[in-house]
Amino acid sequence: MPYRLEIALKSELFDAEGNGIRQKAKNYFDIELVSVRCVYVVTIDADLSKDQLKTIQSEIFTNPVTQVSSLDPLDMEFDWTIWVGYRPGVRDNPGSTALEAVEDILGITFGPSQAIYTSKRYCLKGKGLTEEDMNKIAAELLANDIIQQWKIFPVDKWNPAEGTGIIIPRVILDHTPTVTTISVDSDSTLKKISDERGLALNSADIPFIRSYFLDARVQASRAAMDLSDPTDIELEYISQARSDHCNHNTFRGLFRYLDLETGETKVVDNLFKTCIETPTLTLKKKHPWVVSVLWDNAGVGRFDSNHYYVITGETHNSPSNMEAYGGAITGIVGVYRDPLGTGKGSKLVMGSYGYCVGPRDYNGPLKPRLHPRRLLDGVIEGVRDGGNKSGIPTTFGRVLFHPGYMGKCLVFVTAVGIMPAYINEEPSETKKTSPGELVIMCGGRVGKDGIHGVTASSESFSEHTPAGHVQIGDPYTQKKMHDFLLEARDQGLIRFITDNGGGGLSSSVGESARFSNGCEIQLEKVPLKYQGLDQWEIWVSESQERMTVAVNPKDLECFMELSGMHAVESTVIGRYTNTGKLHITYNGRTCAYIDMDFLTSGFPQWDFDAQWQAPERRGLFEPVLKKPGDYEALLKDLLSRPNICSREWISRQYDHEVQGTSVIKPLVGADRDVNSDAVVIRPVLDSKKGLVFSQALLPAYSAIDAYHMTSCTIDEAVRRLVAVGANIDRIGGVDNFCWPSIQFHPQDNPDGKFKAAQLVRSCRALRNICLSYEIPLLSGKDSMYVDGHLTGRYGETHKVSAPETLQFSATSVIDDIEKCITMDSKMSEDLVYILGTTRNELGGSEYYEHMGYVGLNVPHVFPEKFADLYRALGRAIYKERVASVHGIYRGGLGVHLAMTAMGGNLGMTVDLGLVPSDSFDRNDVILFSESAGRFIVTINPENRKIFEEIFKGLPCACVGTVTHEPDFIITGIDRRPLIKIPVQELKDAWKKPFGELI
Amino acid sequence: MNNVRALVFTGYGLNCDNETAYALTLAGADAHRVHINTLIHGSVNLIDFQIMVFGGGFSWGDDHGAGVVQAVRMKTNLGDKILEFIDAGNLVIGICNGFQTLVNLGLLPGFDHDYTRRSVALTFNDCGNFRDDWVTLKVVPESPCIFTRGIDRLELPVRHGEGKFYADPTTIRRLIDDNQVVLRYAMPDGGPADLRFPFNPNGSVHDIAGICDPSGRVFGLMPHPEAFNHWTNHPDWTRIKEKKKRRQSEAESGCTVGIQLFKNATEYVSNRL
Repeated sequence: MPYRLEIALKSELFDAEGNGIRQKAKNYFDIELVSVRCVYVVTIDADLSKDQLKTIQSEIFTNPVTQVSSLDPLDMEFDWTIWVGYRPGVRDNPGSTALEAVEDILGITFGPSQAIYTSKRYCLKGKGLTEEDMNKIAAELLANDIIQQWKIFPVDKWNPAEGTGIIIPRVILDHTPTVTTISVDSDSTLKKISDERGLALNSADIPFIRSYFLDARVQASRAAMDLSDPTDIELEYISQARSDHCNHNTFRGLFRYLDLETGETKVVDNLFKTCIETPTLTLKKKHPWVVSVLWDNAGVGRFDSNHYYVITGETHNSPSNMEAYGGAITGIVGVYRDPLGTGKGSKLVMGSYGYCVGPRDYNGPLKPRLHPRRLLDGVIEGVRDGGNKSGIPTTFGRVLFHPGYMGKCLVFVTAVGIMPAYINEEPSETKKTSPGELVIMCGGRVGKDGIHGVTASSESFSEHTPAGHVQIGDPYTQKKMHDFLLEARDQGLIRFITDNGGGGLSSSVGESARFSNGCEIQLEKVPLKYQGLDQWEIWVSESQERMTVAVNPKDLECFMELSGMHAVESTVIGRYTNTGKLHITYNGRTCAYIDMDFLTSGFPQWDFDAQWQAPERRGLFEPVLKKPGDYEALLKDLLSRPNICSREWISRQYDHEVQGTSVIKPLVGADRDVNSDAVVIRPVLDSKKGLVFSQALLPAYSAIDAYHMTSCTIDEAVRRLVAVGANIDRIGGVDNFCWPSIQFHPQDNPDGKFKAAQLVRSCRALRNICLSYEIPLLSGKDSMYVDGHLTGRYGETHKVSAPETLQFSATSVIDDIEKCITMDSKMSEDLVYILGTTRNELGGSEYYEHMGYVGLNVPHVFPEKFADLYRALGRAIYKERVASVHGIYRGGLGVHLAMTAMGGNLGMTVDLGLVPSDSFDRNDVILFSESAGRFIVTINPENRKIFEEIFKGLPCACVGTVTHEPDFIITGIDRRPLIKIPVQELKDAWKKPFGELI
Repeated sequence: MNNVRALVFTGYGLNCDNETAYALTLAGADAHRVHINTLIHGSVNLIDFQIMVFGGGFSWGDDHGAGVVQAVRMKTNLGDKILEFIDAGNLVIGICNGFQTLVNLGLLPGFDHDYTRRSVALTFNDCGNFRDDWVTLKVVPESPCIFTRGIDRLELPVRHGEGKFYADPTTIRRLIDDNQVVLRYAMPDGGPADLRFPFNPNGSVHDIAGICDPSGRVFGLMPHPEAFNHWTNHPDWTRIKEKKKRRQSEAESGCTVGIQLFKNATEYVSNRL
């Protein structure tokens, strides 16, 4: 018999969660609530005695100091009650930890049909609240219908004895697992089946797949296994492996590039090879610190003689767009498995985030699935719980608002790990599987999670159908697995390790079996969350928190014992072979038998037409804009712009100091509230070496030319590293491309050829700048199709495409962390220097955007020139001759001088006439141009001579002083006063937009 | 001094074990990271240790009140051994999730030598969110706490969503009267925070950030001393360094105040041994 326990804070205690809901209802919907109180509901679907219930009620579920609880509905005051619970099959993390605790304290084991579920009941009070208000609060604030269900009760319909009723979201599939054979008699039949089953096979691949299964030799070997036409599990395996996500068909495609301006045509065969792989391998040869790149789950660079660092970056856009919290937590927890599955396994030491969403205050006619504000809230919370509960510091991040992300948001997640250079005297970065080794699946169990929603939609009317494609990450289960696997690694028990992410076992087993050249999998051994999954579903399910490990049979006992001690489930599901076949059986019957080399055997290449139209040709020009008069208001307004202003509320929710490694934090300065240029950690606690990390995102420049967007993005990431003292000769990069669809279609994607040209140009810039700065690309990913179709005012739909976006992450090493520098001014009387030349480059700038323009003069990067300056700055920092360094980024000199001043809480006087520049005629150009390659530096006046000596022959000028008087004073090029504002007033403007969200 | 043996719990979502063990090592202890299950299964024995650390993290995901499930597992499987450990005159420190566990176990406040009663709680921050920030803490000088001896004021990071210290007024009164309040959130100048956010980051009653048992040997606190294991952990270190350089004074040396807390513990133990 099921029991329902309701738990609430004692009435005299402040309900912070309820209060947050009350505030959001007011701010988001203008619904005035007097109070909101939350009730936690624990539903126990198991037979327990009265005593047992009493024990768990008092020992686990009720804090005697702060809470009250009851097995009957709690008597709460409300006008309306909203109950929210998960749909069947959605990961209920508190439910499963509750089960663990109950089993432990009662010394019992729950049977497969018994479970614990958690849900919430919100008690709302307010005058004149309507059912419509409640529906809005339920659907747009408290719950998301793809993972949750809800019920609304007005006070007069509430039955105090029954309460919400008892709801058991148990998955009941009532289905016998079945392997289906699929006919390949014609291309059209296979295409039709592919569409029906959501296999998403590429049309060009279909004849190739058919010819394999029609081959007489293949047919003969299949017949011996009792197979004829391909099975569904085989086609799923092919479809997963051939997807753009896994195979990067776009980047490996053939591009016919035409410059409409010059008539130049060029065929680019494989952007990945020409712009990423070749340059990186060239640089790897030159720089021995580059340890392992381009084949494993993440890239590996040398940290010190005994340690390597491991890095990769991912996006989790589509799932986050559907269910922001679930998508984001699955994203961050998922990317953490990449370093864990790199080499023989690395320990996670750092994470970062990048969010690109629509305007937070959007109130136009388009109707995205989730309002940008709600989406951002959910994404922030997902990464918060995923990172914090993993015990990994989330040290850096960016947030960018742009209407183009209304169609689909971007959620970037980046992970850094560290591993010893040698494990039991074997190099840690190498691994392989060998015949005879066991295939072991560790961590979570397999359910319908993450399977392309086909079957889910055909069953969507049953109350026990699992919500398939959206998942909720479980950092707790993964943390246990992480600790276990690192211990197993150190005991030498791991021969090969990789994660189960996209494609699930299909991809992790399929790829790891390439080393031994074959495997035999007994699919019935895979532990399931619930019965009734088809074989192909077990094979491709993307259920999270799982790793695939190869273990030598002689180590099995040790491995399993250690796994048990860490309370991690591990299961042998087969063994590696050298038969050349991927062989899957289910209860002894073969359901897949495919040649291992089939997937690498010459599938047709994708191809694209790319047509470049220069910005002038597209009608872009410099706006006719006369000089502004009120620079004070202008600067304050720029500081208040959503893409410039303070986001302290996000940084503070993220534990950025766990592991005790923090050296340069995300927020620095006298009041610890201004963003640092980069972050530094000390991942090996007893070493003085630091790992430096930064990221940049500048999609606004794509409106002019994605070549320069890319150059400037990389340059910014590099400058951020240099600003804190990083070694410029040890920079590694991670490229994350997010691009709208580039496949031309006259109706659906009329500008596809232009977007394809933008991609080609972006990749060229990536290659050129990385070669110049000597940055190997340690890792990278691409996410195409960042487009959405949104319903408008009249029921019409609009295609909304994201601006072409590249997130560039950069790392470096610093030998002595005690030489790191922060961006805040330190002492009054210090001299203010500008390094680098300011050019007339307002195109795509924040200033133009503020004025409603795009412009034409996009900033250019001159890597050779810039690198000399960066090296000189590196020497000045190494010699400890500078007090602060800050790069000049989005918003330009005016905004970033303000940052330096706000960081130090000290005043500043600056003479714009002294700024190194090639356009002296306008103050607004000098203040707001976003020319790359520049810094603001403050120094002790005593160091003046030595400092200037270091920068001899380079663009470097003293432009002012730091003052005790806390005013920000700028003099124009005509020597007339331009700005005089108290620094606090600037800070207030900068903090105002999101200041109340803390 | 390496005969002082310290145990730091690991497993089940705990996550500050590496740096806590490192901090104890800097403080002169022989620190061991021990999985909760190895202690329960008996392959490691508590009697071999003099300092027991319940560290930070999210044990069991903190899904049913922070530290609650950890406390249940400890009590069910190790209850008596922990009480014996305390009776033997050893030291216990609970940091963040560990503090939450200690109050749920009843090891704190330990009124009348009753180490099983839950009478205080750490509940959701008033600000409604997880918060990472450095805070100033004032040590209550009358407190018998071993760990804070000789320290008057210190800065440490807090990183929690459930750190609001709460108890009924009688209990609070008793904690104050018996000098069991050890640390209070303070203004940067050392004056009382008086519930002002963000100086008191969570709304803790009476600005309480840490308490001890009547003996001063069992100590729990929300801030993280192990995260201040090197002077560059301090948020102002680049500013402090620059100022010292101008005065031509020496750069930072010696241990941080975070390490000092652990040093007090190891010194106490080694004096007893």
